[in-house]
Amino acid sequence: MEVILNLASVQGNILKYNQILKKSDQLIKQNLEDKKQDSIRKEGRSHQLEISDPIVEIENLTLEYDGKPAIIDILIDIPKNHATAVIGPSGCGKSTLLRCLNRLNDLIDGVTIEGSVKISGEDIYDSNIDVTELRKRVGMVFQKSNPFPKSIYENVAYGPRLSGIKNSTDLDEIVENSLNGAALWEEVKDRLGESALSLSGGQQQRLCIARAIAVEPEVLLMDEPCSDLDPIATGKIEDLITELKQNYTIVIVTHNMQQAARVSDYTAFMYLGRIIEYDITENIFLRPTNKQTEDYVSGKFG
Amino acid sequence: MSVITRLKDVEDKIYLQSAFKSRIKRKRQIADFFARLVVTSGGIAIILSILAILFFITIEVIPLWRGVKADLSGRFDIKQTAGIAIIITDDTPFNKPIPIFAIGLDEYREIGFIITKTGKINFISLKDGSIIKQVPLSKIEGKNVSSIFESSNNKQYALGTEDGYVLPVEINFKVSFTQEGKRIIEPRLFEGEPFLVESITLNKLAYNQSSDDSRAAAVITSDGRLVFVSVETSSSLISDEIKNLFKHDLTSGLKGDNVTSLELDSFLDNLYVGTKEGRLYHWSVSDKQNPKLVDVISATAPPGTPLTALGFLLGDRSLIVGDASGVVSVWFQVEDETSPIGRKLQKIHHFKSHNQPITNIASSSRDRSFLSADSSGNISLHHATSNQTLLQLSTEGSSIVAIAFAPKANGILAIDQKGVFYDWDIDNPHPETNLKTLFGKVWYEGYSKPDYVWQSTGGTDEFEPKLSLTPLAYGTLKGALYALIFAIPLSLLGAICVSQFMHPSMRNVIKPIIEIMAALPSVVLGFFAGLWLAPYIEKIIPAVFLMPLVITILTLVAMILWKYLPKFIHARFREGTEFFLLIPIIILGILISIWLNTPLENMLFGGDYRNWLFEVLGLQYDQRNALIVGFAMGFAVIPIIFSIAEDALSNVPKHLTAGSLALGANRWQTAIKVVLPTASAGISSAIMIGLGRAVGETMIVLMATGNTPIMDWSIFNGFRALSANIAVEIPEAPHGGTLYRVLFLAALLLFFVTFVLNTAAELVRQRLRKKYGQL
Repeated sequence: MEVILNLASVQGNILKYNQILKKSDQLIKQNLEDKKQDSIRKEGRSHQLEISDPIVEIENLTLEYDGKPAIIDILIDIPKNHATAVIGPSGCGKSTLLRCLNRLNDLIDGVTIEGSVKISGEDIYDSNIDVTELRKRVGMVFQKSNPFPKSIYENVAYGPRLSGIKNSTDLDEIVENSLNGAALWEEVKDRLGESALSLSGGQQQRLCIARAIAVEPEVLLMDEPCSDLDPIATGKIEDLITELKQNYTIVIVTHNMQQAARVSDYTAFMYLGRIIEYDITENIFLRPTNKQTEDYVSGKFG
Repeated sequence: MSVITRLKDVEDKIYLQSAFKSRIKRKRQIADFFARLVVTSGGIAIILSILAILFFITIEVIPLWRGVKADLSGRFDIKQTAGIAIIITDDTPFNKPIPIFAIGLDEYREIGFIITKTGKINFISLKDGSIIKQVPLSKIEGKNVSSIFESSNNKQYALGTEDGYVLPVEINFKVSFTQEGKRIIEPRLFEGEPFLVESITLNKLAYNQSSDDSRAAAVITSDGRLVFVSVETSSSLISDEIKNLFKHDLTSGLKGDNVTSLELDSFLDNLYVGTKEGRLYHWSVSDKQNPKLVDVISATAPPGTPLTALGFLLGDRSLIVGDASGVVSVWFQVEDETSPIGRKLQKIHHFKSHNQPITNIASSSRDRSFLSADSSGNISLHHATSNQTLLQLSTEGSSIVAIAFAPKANGILAIDQKGVFYDWDIDNPHPETNLKTLFGKVWYEGYSKPDYVWQSTGGTDEFEPKLSLTPLAYGTLKGALYALIFAIPLSLLGAICVSQFMHPSMRNVIKPIIEIMAALPSVVLGFFAGLWLAPYIEKIIPAVFLMPLVITILTLVAMILWKYLPKFIHARFREGTEFFLLIPIIILGILISIWLNTPLENMLFGGDYRNWLFEVLGLQYDQRNALIVGFAMGFAVIPIIFSIAEDALSNVPKHLTAGSLALGANRWQTAIKVVLPTASAGISSAIMIGLGRAVGETMIVLMATGNTPIMDWSIFNGFRALSANIAVEIPEAPHGGTLYRVLFLAALLLFFVTFVLNTAAELVRQRLRKKYGQL
């Protein structure tokens, strides 16, 4: 009987010890994590590139959804007329960062933003900034192609019309140039009046690009523009990006590392809301300085 | 041993498990089967019940279009059965000495009577034609009858004798029941006081008596004179009767025409004379001392075709005219300023020609039907209001000498020159309806022109039912239109505001509140609108029309002020909640408008807007009018349109709005250019469903309008909607009657309209959905 009682108390003790062990383990882990975060932050800053001609300057940008930070302390400059890729695992804040650049995050409830984003030297979070004007300067192409349920022509003319262009010859010219710019003109020039929804997925996405460049933005944001497309359509869009970066500054968020390697000049690697490493694309993929970057680009996690 | 049992246990378990599994599988199959059965039968039951409603409404309506049925129920030669001789002296339909003057029958169609030249009333059984009894007319006993007049109610007769007397006679039937429940019909004869007109044979006679015991007769004597006699009887306290007798010889007015027929109405106002020369003479005899020839009309085409028969329709206001070419027409007096009596006789309806001279006319004492018979033995049944010939009967080819309509309009009696007596069963329950009377313009008795009129019942039996559904359909559309004019802008703008601009937390409050509005019983809304709102609005009409202007101006001013307000005040309102600030501004706008009401009315409308409306715009102001219905029904329709439209707008994919915003559009531009077109399918079905509700709505239109079936788009007039009409009239519509069926037709029409609206809504929705379907 006594033996049994003893055994029971031993069992109770073991349980207690277990709990204590777990707790301490958690503490240690947390500590380690904190240290890691710290090192990440330091490393992020140490890897800051010197960009000679930045068009977008992001300084200490932190964004919180209802008090939960989504991106933390971002500090990068984005060079003019180059393609800059942002890579990183899902949920690391790539898209959020992108949406900070045209203030599309404003629409979401409970968002607070700190830090500054300058485009062409102008702080876009300044209270005097006209958001609609800003969005004309910073075009965006979304992950899912979203042509309006209007004709192909009207889709492209939508932005210019908002800017007050009414003359039909001007509009025709803009539409043709933009569709040419998006390498779509030859495919749709005979059916501009047809619904945009009659186009294939890849064509729809290129139409969205045409629509975005019709207002001649300074910066073109692309949020995983090829994630819904097949390889052929993806190839076309990638060629287009290479083409477009002659005239536009492109910031592209992508999951596809080959794509980033193919189209971008600079690449930023984000993890858990922070920029871990930012460098010339070649360096990121061939000579990453950070262990996490190396793990990610070599496919060890993500 | 234990190992074996354990193994067995395991085996059992496995077996049980598999059994359990198969049982579950079967259970699931059964449940699946029953679920499918219940769901399918539920769906079929709904479809069937709708079809059943449609079917039963249609069943009630179809008899309106059923033709007239006639069966020859009796035919006998009265010379053989009753021993009544027919004397044929002259075959021409006019100016003929008539052997048999008149025939008639009781309301159960058991006993008929024949009035002959000898001054005897012969009652005969309609079963076999045998004589029941012969009653001599005691007051003119021994005299030969030379002419007869039959009043349009088929009860009163007047006999003219060869020595110039006129005897009023009334024949009716006393119906009693024995203890065994057997029906006994006893014919009764009342003779009035005979009075002398001229001591000469009276060849033709028209006689009538008015309710105040005045009597009048017009006669054609054997020497061709037209004489009008009136006898006035008045009672006083001292003496019993003072008789005023006026006699006028009107022959000079005839210009030598030969009179073929005479008619005198029961008001003793109008004397109509038809002549062989085809002219219709109209004397106004309301002033008994001084009869006036009002009009001489060439009534036939080609001119000169002899008129052969005259008769009155029920009510003695419409004159039926038959001529020698077989044409039958209906005439009545229409307002005309050129006429000395202010009204002029006009031909209103004409019917299918007999192509043979008309010999007799008899009108129904139930409705506006009448019979015309010709010299070849053909009989036609016409209906005046609907302008249609319902039935054509033919006999054995001899000229019809007398004809009678059964009191219940369910039988026809006729007798021809050879003494053959015919008795038809008639089934003619709904003579007054056809597409024209239900939907077209009809020239009703006493109206100055053809018109769309709904007036189903009147004060007297002689009333002409006016059953045009057009003013009712018009009322329904008018009500729905004014309701939608009020509801569409408010509900759609509200839906755009709530879905696109408001903070979601406010949307979650406002939407349910507006949806509760739909739960308000419409009878409460109607009661409120009719009894409180209507009198109140009547007081402040100028303010009501001022309100939109004042509120718009105040809102614009408030928005401009808001823009220049310091930032810290802005900061107190979360984005999307600043709309609350508009509530006091709108209330202020309403108050300012009401406050401005009297000054405005004094300044612009001379102190009384109703007077101004009437004099300047020619509009009548009804207290319960389309404006009130617009408000009340708008209130009922707004939640429906709002709720569906708001859902449609909220369901526009976010990536589309984001795409538009990313191109530099502001929220308003995005809402108008991207969200609204994308949600157009839902919005259009919202409006259609709202329209459907407005069309079918009953209690509000019933209580908030005056229910006058007029056709006028004026917002200040009331109207009567189909639905309200059914509610108002179904309690007074006798089961199976024409009105009852017409009301069912109105229901069918309503059903049809809502069906068409819903189908159209669905088609539009499908089309738009297809257009925007890939989203």
